[in-house]
Amino acid sequence: MSQSEPPGGVFGLSYDRETRVIESLKVVSTAIIVLVGAWPIYWMTQLAFTEYETVEDTVTVFPTPDIFTLDNFNVLTEPEMYTYMFNTVVVAIGTIVTVVLVSLIAGYGLARLDFPQKENFARILLIGYLFSPIVIGIPLYQIWQNIGLLGTRFGLIIALSAISMPFAVWLMWKYIMTIPEAHEEAAWVDGASRWRGFRDVVVPQCRPAIIAAALFAFALAWNDFTFAQILLPQTDTTTFAPGILRAMGQAQFLPQAYLMAISLAMTLPPLLFAYFMQSYLLKGFQVRAL
Amino acid sequence: MASETGESIRPGRAYIPWDDLPVKRETVAGIGTVLPVVVLYLLIAVLPVAFAFWASLHEIHTLNPEWQWAGLANYREVLNISTFWGSLWRGIVYMVGSTLLQLAVGLWMALVLNRITRGQKLLTAVVFTAYLIPTIIVSLVALRVFDPAGGVFQMIGAEWLGLWGGREAPLGSRDWAMRLLILVGTWKFAVFVTIFTLAQLRAIPDRFYEAAKVCGANRWQMFRDITLPRLMGIVTVVVLLRSVFMFNKFDIIWQLTEGGPGNATTTLPVLAYKTVYTDQAYGLANAIAVVMFLFLLASAIIYFKLFNPSEEVETTT
Repeated sequence: MSQSEPPGGVFGLSYDRETRVIESLKVVSTAIIVLVGAWPIYWMTQLAFTEYETVEDTVTVFPTPDIFTLDNFNVLTEPEMYTYMFNTVVVAIGTIVTVVLVSLIAGYGLARLDFPQKENFARILLIGYLFSPIVIGIPLYQIWQNIGLLGTRFGLIIALSAISMPFAVWLMWKYIMTIPEAHEEAAWVDGASRWRGFRDVVVPQCRPAIIAAALFAFALAWNDFTFAQILLPQTDTTTFAPGILRAMGQAQFLPQAYLMAISLAMTLPPLLFAYFMQSYLLKGFQVRAL
Repeated sequence: MASETGESIRPGRAYIPWDDLPVKRETVAGIGTVLPVVVLYLLIAVLPVAFAFWASLHEIHTLNPEWQWAGLANYREVLNISTFWGSLWRGIVYMVGSTLLQLAVGLWMALVLNRITRGQKLLTAVVFTAYLIPTIIVSLVALRVFDPAGGVFQMIGAEWLGLWGGREAPLGSRDWAMRLLILVGTWKFAVFVTIFTLAQLRAIPDRFYEAAKVCGANRWQMFRDITLPRLMGIVTVVVLLRSVFMFNKFDIIWQLTEGGPGNATTTLPVLAYKTVYTDQAYGLANAIAVVMFLFLLASAIIYFKLFNPSEEVETTT
């Protein structure tokens, strides 16, 4: 195309008109994304603040003063619900700690040390994505039963950690590769051991990757339903997702507004992470950890 | 690993004659670093799959685990029961439908988010929320809005659009259950595609587009020759992952419909679960699990052969 002629548009429009079309499409798209994305959260929130008798059988769009209430949140103090939430928090923290520790060390080994079959090992790791919770969970049910891990939070943490491994290890590996080895060499020259170099030079620089790996482990653990449903079969010691589903089937009195209130409580941590940690999430992805 | 711990250079540490040993110190340390991952994999992947295969050769009652050798009888039964083929077909419908819809929506969101100049932080937060929010909560909200008593979408569908009757529960209808599962799933999982592609889009240097502009390329040409080739690698990976995840999806289906009405939304994972806990046939369920695993392994091998995703991603820098 010659330099004098301004670049022609896709539909034969002039460049300026095309810019306007694209701009308006962008605005419309943004509006749709925000509306559709935020709508369920808004709906859950407004139902959580509406009196439960009203929620049961009428459609309301906003908790006006005559139907506004905070009583729905009393459900959070019920011992059963409290146990479910507490278990979920324990499992999430356990999974995050395990995943970060194991993947950091393995990522360092893959990036800095040379050992046979290194690349193939990393590739085989990707098969981990094929582990479906149901395919693994059904045999694991009997295995855990035989070694006494069935119904324990520890058994669930191990299973969830393994599922997060392929992503976390690749993320750490690729991220540590982007840190110049010279930083560590400088530490070695000053007499630091490999472990010191890892701890004081590599780990601090890995902060974005650690936060990203932790967030994904958190998402997995907070999200998990299938493993918990199979591996924590007792109703009174399970995590939130299977617990609430079973409570819906069994509880005498569990109105929808209570469900929305407890859902809102469980949504708050992810919501806060999504807002305040998004730069880390994106940074973690930029190294193309796959 | 023990040799790696602590500031162990100091005296008092046991002397290991690395120079005389047949393996290099680095090799031992390297293998040591990946050992925890290997142990986890053995415990959570290799062992269960081997166990599933062994159990699938037996007749086992779920609550009364007495193993009786049955040979290949379970596999014959799996391949002969009509629910298996029906579930496989529904699983494929669910997988393909979900993956295509999620890919389209996810790519569109990524392209928009990449170009937004104002309010980007809030918008990205909205997108990430969908990813981080637990599936059970999506299900609870969906159950609420499609409930015939006071559900807003049920009302809109019945009174404004006439899609279903006024007292009818869409999630309990044969026509709508599967479609709604795909739609609800897309709300939750399309952002997975967005997150991956957005990171890739942000990594494309602006100078590429500037150079193209100077050379007189229009927007479509820029998209086709700069953006698209850069995205192809990650899109291949994402399609593979989404297909595998949707094929294996159990939670959202179980929470919304429990595989019903009838068998209308029973995919293979749901069938396997029901076989364990409703039919109490643990051996048979393991046979289904093994078949699922083989199916996924085969599709993954074909996919890796065709596209080699890991290489694609590694070399697109």
